Amino acid sequence: MRSAALASAGVCGTVAVAGRRVARYAGTAGLLLCSAAAGVHAQQVSVDDAAQAYRQIHIDVDYAPDEAIAGFEIRYASQAFETTGDAELHSTVRVADTADLERVPDDAVFERCWSNGLPIHRDGAGNPVVSPDASNWSCALTGMAPGVEQWIAVVTVGADGAPLVDPERLQPVVGRTDVPDERTPPPDTRPVLFALGMVILSAIVLLAFLRWQDARRGRSKSRLAHIYVAPALIALATLTFYPILYGMWLAFTNADQSRLGDEAWIGLANFAAVFASSGLWRVTLFTFVWAVSNVFAHVFLGLVLAVALNRRGLRGRTVYRTILLLPWAIPGYISVLAWNGMLQPDGLANALLGTAIDFFAGAGSARVVVILVNIWLGVPFMMMVLSGALQALPSNMYEAAEIDGVSRWDQFRYLTFPNLKGTLVPVSLLSFIWTFNSFNTIYLLTRGNPYVGFGEPGATDTLITHVFAVAFEYGRYGVAAAWSVLIFLMLIGFSWLYLRRTGAMEAAT
Amino acid sequence: MNGGVSEGLSGDVSGGAGSITGGAGRTGSLAERWYVPAEIQALRVWIPFAALVNLIVLAGEALRGGGSAQLGALGGMVLLVMLWWWLPDGRRRWRRTVGRGLAAAMLVLGALSLLQRDASFYDLWATSWLVAPSALALYWLSAGLSGSWCAGASDARSAELGLTRNRRLGPRLETFALHTFLLHAVAIVVAPVVWIVDVSISPGNILGGAIGDAFTLEHFRVVLGGETFWLWTRNSMIVALGTTLVGLLLAIPAGYAFSRYRFAGSKGAMFVFMLVQMFPGIIILVPYFMVMKTLGLLNTSIGLIIAYSVTALPLCVWMLKGFFDAVPRALEEAALLDGCTQVGVFFFVVLPLSLPAVAITALFSFLTAWNEFLLALVFNTSNDSYTLPVGLASMIPATGQLWGDFAAASIVVSIPVVVLFVLFQRALIQGLSAGGVKG
Repeated sequence: MRSAALASAGVCGTVAVAGRRVARYAGTAGLLLCSAAAGVHAQQVSVDDAAQAYRQIHIDVDYAPDEAIAGFEIRYASQAFETTGDAELHSTVRVADTADLERVPDDAVFERCWSNGLPIHRDGAGNPVVSPDASNWSCALTGMAPGVEQWIAVVTVGADGAPLVDPERLQPVVGRTDVPDERTPPPDTRPVLFALGMVILSAIVLLAFLRWQDARRGRSKSRLAHIYVAPALIALATLTFYPILYGMWLAFTNADQSRLGDEAWIGLANFAAVFASSGLWRVTLFTFVWAVSNVFAHVFLGLVLAVALNRRGLRGRTVYRTILLLPWAIPGYISVLAWNGMLQPDGLANALLGTAIDFFAGAGSARVVVILVNIWLGVPFMMMVLSGALQALPSNMYEAAEIDGVSRWDQFRYLTFPNLKGTLVPVSLLSFIWTFNSFNTIYLLTRGNPYVGFGEPGATDTLITHVFAVAFEYGRYGVAAAWSVLIFLMLIGFSWLYLRRTGAMEAAT
Repeated sequence: MNGGVSEGLSGDVSGGAGSITGGAGRTGSLAERWYVPAEIQALRVWIPFAALVNLIVLAGEALRGGGSAQLGALGGMVLLVMLWWWLPDGRRRWRRTVGRGLAAAMLVLGALSLLQRDASFYDLWATSWLVAPSALALYWLSAGLSGSWCAGASDARSAELGLTRNRRLGPRLETFALHTFLLHAVAIVVAPVVWIVDVSISPGNILGGAIGDAFTLEHFRVVLGGETFWLWTRNSMIVALGTTLVGLLLAIPAGYAFSRYRFAGSKGAMFVFMLVQMFPGIIILVPYFMVMKTLGLLNTSIGLIIAYSVTALPLCVWMLKGFFDAVPRALEEAALLDGCTQVGVFFFVVLPLSLPAVAITALFSFLTAWNEFLLALVFNTSNDSYTLPVGLASMIPATGQLWGDFAAASIVVSIPVVVLFVLFQRALIQGLSAGGVKG
């Protein structure tokens, strides 16, 4: 985030409005071109290439607020111009008190404009109005022919309608839009609907077959069972199994942002791309380090807290338990963002230490921090599960041990721990899978930063956050699907190994 | 225990053989085996923890880069380890002398570093982990029954007295340690909460600063007075309620069928429901997104409701199965004998009896939908269709980083969720362990 602001601020001192996922890819947001018409009422106009759309050029205008300014004229031409006469008037933005006006939502108007990042105010006639104390606004200029350069200038005008800058010496900016028309053709819903229909149909056929089998075996009691299960099973089939199969198919296609519904089979090319990517082993290793260290800490701290809370005659147990549950009770995204704020250079952690360390700047410290925050989040769940398991242990076992003079540590070592194993094995596997798949902590703390290289996973990216970036920041759905399939295989392999090693296949199934 | 006795005896014998100082020496040796004051037992356990804390403090000082404070923490740690190594054993007097010397040195070190440091909360805490253990050790090694035991001066009578005292004092010291530990855990847990409350009532968007140094309600006014927050709340409410309704309609019959009937494919279906929970969400994310995009369900509540109710479905089914299992079958059989139909039994006997369980499952799926972030982030691209999680998260990367507004909104959003969670924690956890964990 910070780097994005700095990178774009370097050029002309304006910060372009760009999509919300610009984050670490500020470099792609487009070169800002600026123009400062000579004179006191100079303003800076920049073209935001990242926000361009079909037949639209997006301009951002920054200026020093001044009482003399009564409005802005946007002029454009298909060649360079210096005087207002050589350019056409595109539209105007009026400066007036906006207290009584409304911000009209984007989709309600054809010519979209914004001030302060929100849809601009509009007067009764629907013309854009900006308040006198504003210092910037932006507009998506429509009607711009695609693939041709357009010269655009913004001229400030006074109350009498006369230009406040020299109308003979304009310095227009150049912009162009190369975005092809996306509105045609609307996505073809037939294949998806057909596939969904087929899935539903086969689920029904399967259930009917099972029911027939039951009837043949003379199990008349359960004749309603299949009907009861049907809705859930059909929902699961259409919305879980079908997407999984679809995702696996996507992994072999060239699906990306610009292609929807006409992906083509490209074989193993996506998998080749995944294996060729330089960050593959690093990000896999970090994902496993992340998951394993989290699970260890969750189980260890959860167990310690559960044993502590389970002590007979502990005063304030309910209070302790309730407070220690908070990390689980508070919505996860809120606590992660709170930690994000606390760990900023000017945040609470630094205030306590009396330092100004940027924990997220270095790769090592950022990794440690994301792991610590996730440990904070996950301990209560483990604590509660193990508390429940501890309470289920018979108390006379401990009484007998006490009479025999077994020390507390030995009680834990030889009585508690072996008895908890049946709970610990499946729970730690579940916790591993959850941590492995967790997204919020890393996305909301670092977004995978520190930055390593374009297209590469960042230093704190796990497989999951990296797949998210591949899919929704680069728009490469096919490659993302290939990553997903690999992750899936990894998880299955790991779970199988773990259950085999711990001999807990029976406990889990 | 047997080992302890024989060791004590052999120690006694060797003591007797080695010296002819008489009864006191021998009983001292015997007392050492049979009786260790609760204070010394406590020190044996506590000092490693204190050393660990000083290690953490050392790490903190390394971050800070303060040379003398680093030395202080390092010295404290080393002294603690040495003290632990040479803790008195009730026999060798020199250990007491050494121990007292080490404790006194630590006390001096603690006092010095207290003078060196600022009087900030962290510094006080850090030095207290040097001062308190050393002061306790010094006191216990010097005075009272434990002091004389350390000097090797306890005889059979005082050992007997000490054993009685241990029975009372041991649990007390243990309780004290337990509360110290739990209070530290509580502090770590509560820190972000306190911080967020502080940020929400501080003017501007200051992240650090002293806790509770200024008070303003401007952030609450901005958040609650603005339209976007209520728009996001409305979206979240629609999505969460819709998810609960759809999820329950699907899950209740399925959970009941799994609980009551053995039918062809029931085991396979139950296994499938469990397996689905383990699927990485990411594998469905991209295809979900593409299907929703094709069907035009992005930026709508319906898309999210469909996605959430299905992702929460397996756990809900398992939870409900666990709850239904607890409803006695005899009631159903009685109703069937009285001429009630199978469907009637479900609606008029089982469902009313398990309403609390259904409510817990509803609360669970509501909370899941209310807090979900990833799918909501992917499915919603316009500010107007954001749910609360995406909306609140969008306040942070926005220009100016609206920390104050974010904190205020977080508090408003969290309070009902936390209250519900705390009120129903037992039932929720019970349901979860019936569903997911025991599987």
